[in-house]
Amino acid sequence: MEMREVISTGNELAALAGVDAGCKFFGGYPLTPSSEIMHVISDLLPKIGGTCIQMEDEIGAICAVIGAGMAGERTMTGTSGPGMSLKAENLGLAQMAEVPLVCVNVMRGGPSTGLPTRVSQGDILQSKNPSHGDYKSITLCAGSLEECYTETVRAFNLADRFMQPVIVLLDETIGHMHGKAMLPTAEEVKKGIVPRKKFDGPAEEYFPYECGPTEPAVLNPMFEGYRYHFTGLHHDKNGFPTEEIETCRKLIQRLEDKVAMHEDELESYEEFMMDDAEIMIVAYGSVSLAAKESIRHLRKEGIKAGLFRPITIWPSPAKKIKEHTDKIEKVLVVELNIGQFHAEVERASSRLDIDGLFKVNGRAISPHEIVSKVKEL
Amino acid sequence: MSDTKTLMRFTGVGGQGVLLAGEIFAAAKIKTGGHGLKTATYTSQVRGGPTVVDIQLDDEEIYYPYANDGEINFMLSVAEMSYKLFKDGVKPGGTIVIDPNLVHPTDEDRKTWNIHEIPIITIAKEEVGNVITQSVVALAIANTMMNAIDKETLIETMLSKVPAKVHDVNKTAYELGEKYAKEAMA
Repeated sequence: MEMREVISTGNELAALAGVDAGCKFFGGYPLTPSSEIMHVISDLLPKIGGTCIQMEDEIGAICAVIGAGMAGERTMTGTSGPGMSLKAENLGLAQMAEVPLVCVNVMRGGPSTGLPTRVSQGDILQSKNPSHGDYKSITLCAGSLEECYTETVRAFNLADRFMQPVIVLLDETIGHMHGKAMLPTAEEVKKGIVPRKKFDGPAEEYFPYECGPTEPAVLNPMFEGYRYHFTGLHHDKNGFPTEEIETCRKLIQRLEDKVAMHEDELESYEEFMMDDAEIMIVAYGSVSLAAKESIRHLRKEGIKAGLFRPITIWPSPAKKIKEHTDKIEKVLVVELNIGQFHAEVERASSRLDIDGLFKVNGRAISPHEIVSKVKEL
Repeated sequence: MSDTKTLMRFTGVGGQGVLLAGEIFAAAKIKTGGHGLKTATYTSQVRGGPTVVDIQLDDEEIYYPYANDGEINFMLSVAEMSYKLFKDGVKPGGTIVIDPNLVHPTDEDRKTWNIHEIPIITIAKEEVGNVITQSVVALAIANTMMNAIDKETLIETMLSKVPAKVHDVNKTAYELGEKYAKEAMA
């Protein structure tokens, strides 16, 4: 694959990824620490015939993005925790109506306005179920500058494949750190674009929500002669509201199964020095960088530690986690919240003796803190 | 934790432009084939809040993006509150450059670290004639004292990040920074 060297920040790379992945519309409301995504994309999009619009608030932003997604474009928004809270209802609408979009959340301290400029990973559980109701979220989490780019690109392809929002989690540290990233060229990214499915038969035979029990809706772009209805209500094959019992059951079961039955397409993780590991650290996002440095240090002292880093957070790589936790006794989850992914590791492993190192004061966890904790295990 | 690593910390208050110096250092190190990373932390008080920029330069890949407290080789500070907050990250015997008009170290500090006083803001304002160039004066001081990056590469990188119309004034700022650093070390 042809690569290029870019010196940039995580936020800027997420914006660049959007443009390279074919995003034509960004609706946003700038929010610390995600604002640079909008700064950059508001400069890039108009140059390629795209549109960036600053809406009146985060609710307006997600609604604009859903509208552009209904029209058939690849669309994106960027925000942080408080913005995610405001967008929650309409992320639910996008799940229900099956509108693909990419939502980048650069995590900061919460709840509420929290610690606007400080790092956190407190939105892990929120990203699993931002809205009420049953559906299965897809959430990716970048653990390096490269991944701020590549995971955002992947998010666009997954959104079109599964016809639903895909959340990309960055955190303040990853979003703002500035350094070198080796990225695939824009041409390589273009080659990898898989656009959403389209129905090209006669208009009278087109039923967007009539699809296999584990398949997403097929939503043709607007204004091409195919007529259908969008709603947040339970709906029939045409998209019109219905309360017919079996239709309602099948719809919600399909929203679950279209993801649940294809988890192998979504699973993504990194194993760092896991081959002979006797201690497994689980960390993601910027914390995984501290973990890697701590492992480098521990190994020098002869302590065989390794890192398991989920990249697709939801659905979680539960099978792979269990494979490791069945063999490795000492497991430490390190995260900038009070155990949000720790609970998932406990679930996946069916163990209640998983250790945790948590921090919620807006400051990063240092490699030294991880080294000390590992030595205590 | 790495032997080949140079750790620098620039501290000030929001709005002083300390971020740019970090970006220039990181980019210049990458240009030479190494690894460079700049990470800033700031407060929600955008202007006037304590700001810290950590700069890591290494031949090996850098993972953790912040400088580990106690391992920092060099710190430059142009604000009292930031100096007090972040000085303890510098390893004993490490170098600290302060603007003596703004930062007032204790006698104990002077025993712990190698403290140099250079009136960075005054140099930028009065000798260069543009207060904005203080980040380039700081850049030159840090590089001269740490011998971190080839001077020509650093200047070239710096010029690529500032508008053409201020190239000359920034070159002057660099030369002045270097001059003052050499005098301080003499």
